[in-house]
Amino acid sequence: MAEENWIEVGSIDSIEEEDLIRFDHGDKTFCVYRLTDGFYATDGYCTHEVVHLEDGLVMDDEIECPMHQGVFNIKSGEALSPPACEDLKTYPVKVDNDKIFIKID
Amino acid sequence: MKKKILILGGGQSALYAARETRRNDEKVSITILGEEKQLPYERPPLSKDYLLNKKNEEDLVFNNSKILDDKKIFYINTNIEKVDFNTKTLVSNNEKEYRYDILLIATGSENNKLKLDNNLENEIHYLRNLEEAKIIKKKIENKNNIVIIGGGFIGLEIASSLSQLNKKVTLIEIGNQLMGRIIPKPIADLVKHTHEAAGNKIILNKQILQISKFNENYKILLSDNSELEADFIIAGIGSKPSVSLFENTDLKLDNGIVTNEFCETSIKDVYAAGDVSNFYHPLYKQYIRLESYQHAQNHGICAGKNISGLKTEYTSIPWMWSDQFNLNLQLTGICENFDEIIERGKNIENGIIYFFLKNKSIKGACGLGVAGKVGRDIRITTKLAEKNVMVDKRILGDESQKLNKLISK
Repeated sequence: MAEENWIEVGSIDSIEEEDLIRFDHGDKTFCVYRLTDGFYATDGYCTHEVVHLEDGLVMDDEIECPMHQGVFNIKSGEALSPPACEDLKTYPVKVDNDKIFIKID
Repeated sequence: MKKKILILGGGQSALYAARETRRNDEKVSITILGEEKQLPYERPPLSKDYLLNKKNEEDLVFNNSKILDDKKIFYINTNIEKVDFNTKTLVSNNEKEYRYDILLIATGSENNKLKLDNNLENEIHYLRNLEEAKIIKKKIENKNNIVIIGGGFIGLEIASSLSQLNKKVTLIEIGNQLMGRIIPKPIADLVKHTHEAAGNKIILNKQILQISKFNENYKILLSDNSELEADFIIAGIGSKPSVSLFENTDLKLDNGIVTNEFCETSIKDVYAAGDVSNFYHPLYKQYIRLESYQHAQNHGICAGKNISGLKTEYTSIPWMWSDQFNLNLQLTGICENFDEIIERGKNIENGIIYFFLKNKSIKGACGLGVAGKVGRDIRITTKLAEKNVMVDKRILGDESQKLNKLISK
């Protein structure tokens, strides 16, 4: 059976709590978040206009787009506040030996 | 009988007030009376992605029209010509009467028009609604020498879009900097340089004395007696609240409809929200009128709560943005009446922000950067302004230190 597609992002220390980092892999780009209860990952670009969420503000479980303040739930990807109306894609994350991995389809 | 909520005006405030009212009350009837054929739509893309053909008409409608169907909110396209607050009745131009128990006025604002002493006034274009944007988009197809009158956000956004459509653009501004004095001069200058680098010509400190027509083109005479030629003219010279319907009524007007912090007007059961409302802001202890996306939404939501009986003060900190070329400008709080300015950042690639402080507390900020670069810090500024906390100025001015640490939990 083929190995599941877990990609190493980096050390858990690379992200401060309630913050995020950008992670690029191939032609894809993601945001990887450290919340109080663990690590999460979403697509990198806002679903409203093409702007990367890496410069957005993480507050509790939410990421706010830095350009027009569309808000998404980091865990579910749900678009919570306009102008964002399309949900953000999320990805499974695991931590192994203090390293963060995300599962890309 | 079901309680009838009428919302006059079909823009963003109207939609969000309707949704919030429905969220709090399943039983009332909610009807939006809008002057436009389209269901409530997003206006920011009109001057940008719509002109640039990146978004079409359907993309602009707020999260598609299903919101209205699902929440049982009715939208009627009509022009209201009379209002009688005593009998609680609105009358349309085709004599149809609409009765209300509670009325929300969200008629927005309308463009100031250029005054000319000839018959060319109707040939000057303005961009506020979808119909106007459609006309501009169609007519500029074969135009290539476009003059924009007014160096505010709308004029500059149109100039940016037209430049990207490879049009020759000249923008004329009466003031000595772009975007008015509320924008820090260095930021206004950076925006000017960006336009000029893209080929747009910016003329400051000049008034329009006269516009005349020869063949199919226009001649524009400026206050220094210089002349410009154009094959198309767009003006963006400010706006005023849409209150003409109420001018001979008891409704208290002063730079819009005077509204308290609960969106209530001077007349019982009549509320106002969005651009049309000159509202009391409890944090600033003064009346302010705002024209922005965020305000239209949040004020509409606040009106919806109050209409539903959930007494809610409107304390939102103002925030607005403008997108031009690859730049995103953001403004938050109140950027006047400060006693100190702190600069953060050195270049637009990483963002430059000017913070406005009074008594060591942040009152507002204005930032400019390549898309997204100033957003987080501007958002943090909003939160700091909300709490009116004293801030460590060294952190504000030091780009290497994240501002997140200034927000106390």
